[in-house]
Amino acid sequence: MKNNIIDKSRSNDRLAELLIRAGGIMVIVSVVWILVMISKVALPLFFPASARVAATVKLPAAITAVKVLAVGTEEGQQGVFILDDSGTFHFLKAADGSVSATIKTPVVPTGAVRAVAAEAVGKSVYNLLWDNGAITSVTVAFASVKEADSKYSLTHDVTSNENLSFAATGGIVQSFARLVEEKGAVRIDRLGGDRLRVTHQLIEKDLLGNEKRSSSSSEINEPLPGRLSAVAVDTKGHYLYAGTDNGMLLRWDISEPGQIRLVDNVTASESRQAVTSLALVLGDVSVAVGDAGGSLSTWFPVKVSGSGEDRRLTRIHNLHPNVGKVAAIIPSPRDKTLFSVDATAIHADHMTSERSLLAVKPEAPVVLAALSPKGNTLAAMGNTNKLTLWKLNIPHPEISFGTLFGKVWYEGYDRPEYAWQSSAANDDFEPKLSLVPLVFGTIKATLCAMLFAVPLALLAALYTSQFMSPKLKGRVKPVVEIMAAIPSVVIGFLAGLWLAPLIDKSVLTVFLSIVLVPLLLLVTIFFWKRIKTASLLQRATRGHEFIAMIPVVILGIYLAFLLSGLAEVNLFGGDFKQWLFSTLAVRYDQRNSIIIAIALGFAVIPIIFTIAEDAISNVPRNLTAASLALGASRWQTAWRVVLPSALPGVFSAVMIGFGRAIGETMIVLMATGNTPILSWSLFNGLRSLSANIAVEIPEAPFNSSLYRVLFLSAVLLFIFTFIINTVAEAMRQRFRKKYGRY
Amino acid sequence: MWLGSVFVKGYLMKLFWKTGEPYVLATGAALAIILVMSLTLVGVVMSNGLGYFWPRALVKFELKDGSAALGQVTQQEKNPISGIRRFQLKVGNRDVFGQDFRWIDEQDITTRSEPADTVLLERREHGNYFGFLQGVTAEGLNLTAATPYEKLQQARKLVAGKLAATRKIKEQMSDLNNSAESLRLKVQKLEYSGKEKNAAAITELTAVREKAMAEFSGLNEQFTATQADIGRITAQFTDAVGGSKDISLTEIVALQRPNDMSFFAKCGAYLERVRELLLDDPRESNTEGGLFPAIFGTVMMVLMMSLFSLPFGVIAAIYLREYARDGLMTRMVRIAVNNLAGVPSIVYGVFGLGFFVYGIGGSIDSLFFPERLPTPTFGTGGILWSSLTLALLTVPVVIVATEESLASIPKGIREGSLALGATKFQTLTRILLPMATPGIMTGLILSMARAAGEVAPLMIVGVVKLAPTLPFDTNFPFFHMDRKFMHLGFHIYDVGFQSPNVEAAKPMVFVTTMLLLAIVIIASSVAIYLRNRMRGKYTTSTF
Repeated sequence: MKNNIIDKSRSNDRLAELLIRAGGIMVIVSVVWILVMISKVALPLFFPASARVAATVKLPAAITAVKVLAVGTEEGQQGVFILDDSGTFHFLKAADGSVSATIKTPVVPTGAVRAVAAEAVGKSVYNLLWDNGAITSVTVAFASVKEADSKYSLTHDVTSNENLSFAATGGIVQSFARLVEEKGAVRIDRLGGDRLRVTHQLIEKDLLGNEKRSSSSSEINEPLPGRLSAVAVDTKGHYLYAGTDNGMLLRWDISEPGQIRLVDNVTASESRQAVTSLALVLGDVSVAVGDAGGSLSTWFPVKVSGSGEDRRLTRIHNLHPNVGKVAAIIPSPRDKTLFSVDATAIHADHMTSERSLLAVKPEAPVVLAALSPKGNTLAAMGNTNKLTLWKLNIPHPEISFGTLFGKVWYEGYDRPEYAWQSSAANDDFEPKLSLVPLVFGTIKATLCAMLFAVPLALLAALYTSQFMSPKLKGRVKPVVEIMAAIPSVVIGFLAGLWLAPLIDKSVLTVFLSIVLVPLLLLVTIFFWKRIKTASLLQRATRGHEFIAMIPVVILGIYLAFLLSGLAEVNLFGGDFKQWLFSTLAVRYDQRNSIIIAIALGFAVIPIIFTIAEDAISNVPRNLTAASLALGASRWQTAWRVVLPSALPGVFSAVMIGFGRAIGETMIVLMATGNTPILSWSLFNGLRSLSANIAVEIPEAPFNSSLYRVLFLSAVLLFIFTFIINTVAEAMRQRFRKKYGRY
Repeated sequence: MWLGSVFVKGYLMKLFWKTGEPYVLATGAALAIILVMSLTLVGVVMSNGLGYFWPRALVKFELKDGSAALGQVTQQEKNPISGIRRFQLKVGNRDVFGQDFRWIDEQDITTRSEPADTVLLERREHGNYFGFLQGVTAEGLNLTAATPYEKLQQARKLVAGKLAATRKIKEQMSDLNNSAESLRLKVQKLEYSGKEKNAAAITELTAVREKAMAEFSGLNEQFTATQADIGRITAQFTDAVGGSKDISLTEIVALQRPNDMSFFAKCGAYLERVRELLLDDPRESNTEGGLFPAIFGTVMMVLMMSLFSLPFGVIAAIYLREYARDGLMTRMVRIAVNNLAGVPSIVYGVFGLGFFVYGIGGSIDSLFFPERLPTPTFGTGGILWSSLTLALLTVPVVIVATEESLASIPKGIREGSLALGATKFQTLTRILLPMATPGIMTGLILSMARAAGEVAPLMIVGVVKLAPTLPFDTNFPFFHMDRKFMHLGFHIYDVGFQSPNVEAAKPMVFVTTMLLLAIVIIASSVAIYLRNRMRGKYTTSTF
């Protein structure tokens, strides 16, 4: 019985020890776990793109007999379609090459016998040029559906776009047709002899709702710098691009019927290689240019210095060069990825990040290639009547180390810039995810706050531990500790809605206070020394000096406020902010870095104060006693004996405060305007990494690039604070060892 | 003589500087600045927060252009150049004037008066109304009072009785709604597991549900009818400009005549507002009314958090202090603890979102609630994930406090217990932990204070501006861990920075801030007091 109890308590003891040890190790596990889990979300940003052959389809003999004008595919790699020169779509199953459906284009223009060419525009729209010069347009809907027995069935439909059709005309080599918003449609014909003709088909509605159709046609009559080698038109029908065989790139504004203007005539290839292919990148701003030498670049209009508002086509991004001539460029219908076809391979490059994503090598030279509407599948037809389908996995093409931390030349910008802009109203908007402005904002906020907090906190800590009477110290220390518990949302709210408008009314008070408070302090010190040493008053004030300082500080700030009113009226014409703007061209934001310095500084003061005060107080008393006994004054003892000994502890206090300031979210969120700008001006706001996460993450779609970039910034914050905290802790442990106390 | 005195003075001055007395004063000034800042913060919050509920006088200004303005003077300032004073007047009547505040120059004012018969109405919508009562239209009510004001009060009492009856209908409706919803989920689950197999059960449940729905719509009609009936009882008011307004009695939340109130009446009104603040639901997208859901959400989240963080923190501290030997492992645990304390709170939020919400929550959804997908149940922010995230965030606070209190227990006590044959575990549970309880309490309270004020991670993992239901109610299973909740700290951020009319919402934010600040300051004061007492108990002076 007795043994039983002993055994039981022993086994209890062992069990408890096991549990408690596990609990201790859990702390390490959770820290590592946090890092692992957030890194796991961020890492796919840097995963390479991949492509694998999903299927190879041998075309049935019936189809190989005719001329193939276009191919297409769908998202699931289950089907392909082929458009032949009779205007018939053949939908094939990828698995076995069997014909799933054959659909004839709904409208064949009168007099047309066969189709000559098919142009793919945007997502699933095909413009057919017939042998008599007429144009019709169809939309193809094609998808695969997974059935219960894990087989796929295909759905297909071909519908006609009635608004986009043009009547017959002759002598055409190549044609483009586009719908023009609120106007009608436009066709651009490349005629024999390198002539280009633009025909607008206008639909005007009068007040009664009657449609009136009219047609106007004009030919481009400027002499071309060389022979035409490639032509492209943007999807809205506003600009016409042409490349020549001597490497020139031309651009015409064709948006106004009858007013065709040549707006650009630039050299696209320095080595005068022929431009072999042109394509508009999604969004219609950039044009991709491929030449006979294999170089691939993108261009968009940029403001030229010294020419006012004029914009000229400029080479912006150079992408991975192809081997031999660039035969075709296929822009992705989903993002700014470009697929370029050369003699041996199909390359995928992202325009903005300039990342070379992947290259696939088809068995035979590619004749036709196409992407599925969402860009998940690539289909290419070789000259051996075989069609190959690739499943593309391109996780985050727009993200690279360069776009996150380097300057990027975005569309519409006049120079490469660090920019953060995660969303906008329109669909083809490209998110700009540079972390540089955010890191800059974090550093700026932290530095401002530390400049304000460190001197105050350290001096106050020195005073509290060395000069203050022990009884008072017992009261003041808890006050500061309670200060540390004030929620940051409270500080942020007061900073944003109370302090910011207050300082906004009288900015000068802040600056005058910085001068006046120390000045007034000097005056006080001057009078202070009049108090005779060892007099009753001196004895009474010893250890309580700071109480006398409180009215001095308040008086100083009040005087600064009074003076600032006077100064503003007399020196700055009554409005300092206006003066700043007109004289120094400095914009004043109400929620600026001064507010941040004060608010964030206020939040970290108690942290620095408490740790520093502990460190200073932990210096053994016998050191102090020895110094005082040797005749040193209390200041000399504190400054030359105590402080140097406590320096590692004080330093670690500053480090920990620094770590807090970096990660503080609510204060920065509420007390700044959250503008991601790179400006050192004290009068401007900022956006920090942490506030950025708080602002953006509720809106970020799960697993999108933005979501992962926000996790990446959390990883950065984690690693940064981890280093700071670890160093601080290591120093503190050494400091404790030195003085043998905990 | 004169030269001598100058010399002595100069020498003394030099000595004064050399001994460093001025620097001591400078350090004192630094402390003074910190204290002034803290006091300012508390002072600003108190003065703005405490005054908000006090019934302020309604001042009527007759202006030189012949018009008049009625309202509460909220601010006055002086133009530094022209020296003209101007008043900021809260004129209320947002639906009439389109704005809450108005600046009036002193020189435009002819007379200033405080008419005793002005009434202040707190309304369910459009903010306060300031004006004069003209009469009461009350069909079907027998009003015996003489003056319109008394009539109105009598009518309000009668209407309140009628409203209580409708509240009962509303409760019934909400019960029906709840059971219909749970039936819907059951049907959904059955349908998911096999439509044919469970066809009989589905039809049965659907029939029950339809019955409940029919009952619900019946009650709803009854409710709307009564509501409309009561809504016809109105009172007529005119404002300062002379415009008249017909306001339904159901719209009126509170009625005051601040210019005609005695000091004690004002105190009563003040207390009534405090009660409303603590116990009522918010109105007008949180800018008016009470804070009850936010207080409840905060308290419940904090309590749930301590369920997780307290055991974990105490065990980790025991490991560090009692079991670990000084070595690499211990140092690593210490570094880990410091990093847990030092990692920015927003990182915890991000972790909570990635791991708890999408990770664990997503798995729970696909395992247990596949029929509800893609509508998430646990795969979205909620009170459970929030408290887990904050538990991780506040564990270091518990660890540090517990460790400190364990460290302050003299070694002799441990050795005595072990010498008497107790095992380590027995020593721990019978001797050390009871002795360390004040320290553990300190840690617990400090962690609760921290959690109550933390907002950034909560914004990501489950706090909302307005939660339709509390995370705890009388419907099975009582605790709804998947529900989103309201939080005092987030309330401050949301109302102060996201509401469309920040200027009008500011006083409310100050009140919330004051409440939060009071909670945090009281909690940490208690914790620090406990800790200091614990410290003093066992320490023996060394010098």
